[in-house]
Amino acid sequence: MQKRIFILLLFAVVALVATTRSIAAEPPPFVVIVNPSNPSNLLSRKFITDAFLKKTTIWATGDVIRPADLGPDSGVRQRFSEDVLRRSVSAVKSYWQQMIFAGRDVPPPELSSDDEVVTYILKHPGGIGYVSGKTNLRGARVVTVQ
Amino acid sequence: MGHLSLCRWLSSIAIVVAANASFASTAQAADIGPSGEPLSVQVHGFVSPGFIASTKNNYLARSSKGSFEFTEVGLNFTTQLTDKLRTGAQLFARDLGTNGNYSAKLDWFYLDYRWDDALGFRAGRVKVPFGLYNDTSDVDAARVPILLPQSIYSLQNRDFLFAQTGGELYGRASLRSLGALEYRIYAGAMHIDLGSQSSIGTRVDSIGIPWVAGERLMWETPLEGLRLGGSMQILRVDANLAVNNKPLWIEIPAALYVASLEYSANDFLFAAEYSRWWLKTESSDPSNFPRLTNTSERAYAMASYRTGKVFTPGVYYSLYFPDADDRNGTRIARAQSALVPGADGRAGFQHDIAATLRFDINSYWLVKLEGHFMHGTAGLSSALNDNKPLSALTENWGVFLAKTTVHF
Repeated sequence: MQKRIFILLLFAVVALVATTRSIAAEPPPFVVIVNPSNPSNLLSRKFITDAFLKKTTIWATGDVIRPADLGPDSGVRQRFSEDVLRRSVSAVKSYWQQMIFAGRDVPPPELSSDDEVVTYILKHPGGIGYVSGKTNLRGARVVTVQ
Repeated sequence: MGHLSLCRWLSSIAIVVAANASFASTAQAADIGPSGEPLSVQVHGFVSPGFIASTKNNYLARSSKGSFEFTEVGLNFTTQLTDKLRTGAQLFARDLGTNGNYSAKLDWFYLDYRWDDALGFRAGRVKVPFGLYNDTSDVDAARVPILLPQSIYSLQNRDFLFAQTGGELYGRASLRSLGALEYRIYAGAMHIDLGSQSSIGTRVDSIGIPWVAGERLMWETPLEGLRLGGSMQILRVDANLAVNNKPLWIEIPAALYVASLEYSANDFLFAAEYSRWWLKTESSDPSNFPRLTNTSERAYAMASYRTGKVFTPGVYYSLYFPDADDRNGTRIARAQSALVPGADGRAGFQHDIAATLRFDINSYWLVKLEGHFMHGTAGLSSALNDNKPLSALTENWGVFLAKTTVHF
């Protein structure tokens, strides 16, 4: 009897550890990244929203903010748009339609892969973007979204 | 509908189909140079053919028999010259009833220098920020309804309200926990295309707006998605006419105000605006054009909700009273009773209830269907209705519109 209980407990512990490891290993759906020279560790959701809608255009360091988007069909963009911008990709595109054809501004470049976003961020000191949590960041810094 | 209009409309449809075929496997905007880099040129455009039909009265075009004269085409170029300096221009052509006839013109062009978020300066021919949507009123893809509420965003007033040639200061200031303020102040002049003034009925030798000035202040409140604001515009219209070959000048100083509210949350949008337009007419011949002071009243409430990737229904209710002190149209009825025996007050108001279905077939192609129930004849054009007085037109009528737009 004691042997059975021990085996059951052992299974339970193994299962718990495996589950925990699995959860811990699950990458986030997206991470927000900036250039390694950017001193920011933590950015508010509002600041990031304003940066991607180009309502705020300058970092505290004086560098021009250069946001980069993924394409409209990207699942990572959809998740970022809903979680951070709090609006659908369609609503964001509608916002940019208004800005473009009113001659007010143009949207951030839409890059075709996570890797291109990382390259863009590494090239521009004021760059900010988002990529899948599985992406090789090659030195781009992840910032916490508050 | 003329053979020529149909041919032009079919050409627009062909462009839509061709554009779809060419965009099917490409990105959204066309970039000349590396995307997002200085000196690269972003190219955007749209083709938007439509159809309008109405019961009884002609509206915007010869619509009572159905009209395809309801098309817009635009192509714009923008380039970031330096981090702070940007330039752009848009070519635009439209066909709306007797207006436009696909004559392409430079719709806007500007040089924009932005010192920082709080202050920028734009010079050139720039769109006028009046209310929530005046500067985007041409952009079918940016909204749900085909026709924005015509009480405030009348297509017939496009020449007077759309863009001014001059300068604009703009900026946005954070109020920290209280949100942010967005402000725009402008001054300049407006050119009016004589060809679009054919409804006046006399010979127009010249017409223009020698000066216009205005502002728009929007408060982005702490409640995310809620914007409140107010816009004001003052201007003077000068015209030189000939009535029975007798020269005549007219001056019309005007002041326009609008209060705005917009709330958007995810895929839900609600907007409401209230506006008053004051004007005074003075002329060199008061017997033909008597001195007149008038205040009109305009308002609407609009809502839409995107229910999925494809489908967005929307509704609005819009009100227009040409004389705010005569909402029943009593004075207008009295004035027109000599021409229309037994005239009632129908020309003194326009109630417009509209419902739209928008289908986003993909991220660059959409189709819209829209119906309006109209009560009252204010806002109609006598010239489009065989020069009949507005009191002689049908009081309750309907409009149906269909539009398809490809944009990139």
